[in-house]
Amino acid sequence: MRQFIIRRILYSIVTLLILSATIFLIVRLTGDPVALMAEASARPEDLDRIRHQWGLDRSWPVQYVTFMQNAFRGELGKSFNYRLPVSELYFQRLPNSLTLGLAATLISLLIGVPAGIISAVKVNTAWDNVAKGVALLGLSIPGFWLGLVLILVFSVWLRWLPTSGAGDWRHVIMPALALGWYFAASMLRLTRSSMLEVLGSEYIKLARLKGLPDVVVIALHAFKNALIPVFTLAGVNMVVMVNAAVIIEVIFAWPGIGRLLYEGIFQRDFPLVQGVVIMAGFMIVGINLVVDILYAFIDPRIRLTR
Amino acid sequence: MRRPRFEARRALRLLAVALMLISVGSATSQLSSPAGAAAKGKIVLAWHAGFASRWLDPQEHDGTATPDNFLTALHDALVKNQGTQLYDHPGLAERFTIAADAKSATFTLRKGIKFHNGEPVTPQDVKFSYENYRGAKADVFKKKTERVEIVDDRTIRFVFKEPFLDFATLFGTANVAAPGWVVPEKYYKQVGADGFKQKPIGAGPYKLLHLEPGVKIEMEAFDGYYRPVNVKQLVMVSVPEPATRVAMLERGEADIIYFVPGELINKVGKLPGVTLAPVLSGSFFLEFPGFQDPKNPFHDKRVREAVSLAIDRRAINQAETAGMGKPTGNWINPDVQYAIEWPEFERNVDKARQLLREAGYPNGFNVDWVTPLPSFYSRGERVIAQLREIGIRGRLQTMERGIFLQRLQGGLKDWPGVQIILHGARIGGSWSFWYEGHFKCGGFNSRDRICVRDLDGKFDQYERSINPAERKKLAEEIQRGILENYYLVPVFRHAFVNAIGPRVVAQKWQDVFPTITTGYAYPWEDLKVKE
Repeated sequence: MRQFIIRRILYSIVTLLILSATIFLIVRLTGDPVALMAEASARPEDLDRIRHQWGLDRSWPVQYVTFMQNAFRGELGKSFNYRLPVSELYFQRLPNSLTLGLAATLISLLIGVPAGIISAVKVNTAWDNVAKGVALLGLSIPGFWLGLVLILVFSVWLRWLPTSGAGDWRHVIMPALALGWYFAASMLRLTRSSMLEVLGSEYIKLARLKGLPDVVVIALHAFKNALIPVFTLAGVNMVVMVNAAVIIEVIFAWPGIGRLLYEGIFQRDFPLVQGVVIMAGFMIVGINLVVDILYAFIDPRIRLTR
Repeated sequence: MRRPRFEARRALRLLAVALMLISVGSATSQLSSPAGAAAKGKIVLAWHAGFASRWLDPQEHDGTATPDNFLTALHDALVKNQGTQLYDHPGLAERFTIAADAKSATFTLRKGIKFHNGEPVTPQDVKFSYENYRGAKADVFKKKTERVEIVDDRTIRFVFKEPFLDFATLFGTANVAAPGWVVPEKYYKQVGADGFKQKPIGAGPYKLLHLEPGVKIEMEAFDGYYRPVNVKQLVMVSVPEPATRVAMLERGEADIIYFVPGELINKVGKLPGVTLAPVLSGSFFLEFPGFQDPKNPFHDKRVREAVSLAIDRRAINQAETAGMGKPTGNWINPDVQYAIEWPEFERNVDKARQLLREAGYPNGFNVDWVTPLPSFYSRGERVIAQLREIGIRGRLQTMERGIFLQRLQGGLKDWPGVQIILHGARIGGSWSFWYEGHFKCGGFNSRDRICVRDLDGKFDQYERSINPAERKKLAEEIQRGILENYYLVPVFRHAFVNAIGPRVVAQKWQDVFPTITTGYAYPWEDLKVKE
């Protein structure tokens, strides 16, 4: 088991190193950030001065080593745009993103899981068709469109909710719904297929043969086992929602990490983009590591086969 | 019986003394705080992009028009662009004089002016701000300035090595440079440049209450400002999505919104109590990279003229800004020094075809790419459609803004073949900044794509000249040379359409946007909200 954990941790470190090198290269391939930082009438020497000021005149390998050295010390560099440490900016926005991510996850679970269960239990009925329709809509309606429609209906026409920004609980409802809707559809589909698989297994048939009522079979035997992959997906979805809800955060002017990333990309703020992506990668890799280790604890076959 | 009478008399005396103290205190506070007494209410401005912290520090002005939206609220300058005055509206200086030989400029500060931390604004702060300035055009000021002299406790003199004719224009135009914007020396040194950007202290009409980097700036009327500030709280919120900004206005969450895009203009114009503010902004014009090459079809003046004749400027203006922009003759905005007025170019498709035939292109020709300034792609599409009418067939090339700027700076090698660029620019101050940036051989944006030696020669003469009359004559000659030869083809002056909500007091939109050199709503202190 110890070997398994060490191996998984090493894999995670390698993944993060590859991610850091990839994002480091990608942001630089987008072009020279100095073009966006200088005035319209700047001359080449002005651009050189700015490049030197931010260490962009050094070679890419030197810049990468410096970036990694700082990252190991917990420093993700200073944002070109905000002139603040990236970690400070990230943690300023994190509570808002966590709030939105949690609310959206809750919505996706509340819609997706019950609908998925009903759809699986009532397979090939009208209930199932309705649920499949909901899933199709959820996956095909763009988040920005849904967001704008929500604003129009609930803010402008009904005047129930504020249009944008962060504040009290009323500010969270619409962005969480617009964000959670898409993920609810994927939850629904996964819950349905997972439930169908479990409902077709031998132990469920045995439970039914024993004469257990349907409610007991579904609630006590099928539901618990079918939800393992659903909750795993919910965890990963939440990390994505926390770190990359770019469109929804822009539509609702929600001051979260996704919008920080969006602004960083537009301004070619290399340290900011690198920092946000590394932090998101760190979260995803961390969650996968914990899940892998938990799986290995639960099922010894996993640690033997890997 | 006597004791109560004594106490009553004593109480009356105490009351009289208290009343005197209160009245003296109130008079003193009125003298020292003209702004705070009347300020009331709150204005929320929905800004159309993110906020960059560097915009809060005039010392690092990036030379674009954007920072002045923030500088004019938090900071103040000796002189500035305000209302119809291009650069010489008195700010912290109550008066200034430029020496007849243009070798020095002397400013006299207003009496009793203060920074938000209560410290007085002194000539030493002005000197520090000028000498420490490292933003746009800093090198020009450094190169030309011999010394800065503090004459007395309210007077400061800038002495130049040579006549500096552009000094006042450069010094006083907030969307060009900001060496005249005064920061408190002691505080700036204490917190450092980055610390200052997080908690800026200035001498402007509003002081910072709370800053959420990139999200929101909350400000409060500054009691010590030398002019009355009408609205108590000024909040600027970053709302990148235009439809959300419109919803905020509709719901009363925002009082002023910036940048209503073309497709929303009609809707916003119909909202009850809402006033559209179509501020004339940058100019859009066509450039033909590498037209000097005799093999390039645009080498022939008749072809360039044909392009101009084919462009339906009014249709573009109507479609792109609901007719709120202005088809113009000059590619340089008229609100800068020495810009000349030029009549709107005619549209005549038959004449354009005739010119193409005479130039040897009876069936037109292909243009490799037509590239509009990001993100005004639809304007590029309209140009392509209009040129197709005379047989010039082009394809649209869209670029991300950073790439576009980088390609411009890369010069002609980044624009091979036959190309057209649809530029958009708004540059304040002087016509010469436009020429330097977009036309001069070796200029920041023009590089080697345009090299007209005789005009560049005249421009060098203009720069060397210390005779204002000669400079004006040369400026006009050069501009005429560009327009008569169609080296650049002006299209229209774009409208930066904003909207004003019903709570803001305004008879007409110009009451809220009175400054002709900007699309922003300053002077902020003059804004008023209804009870």
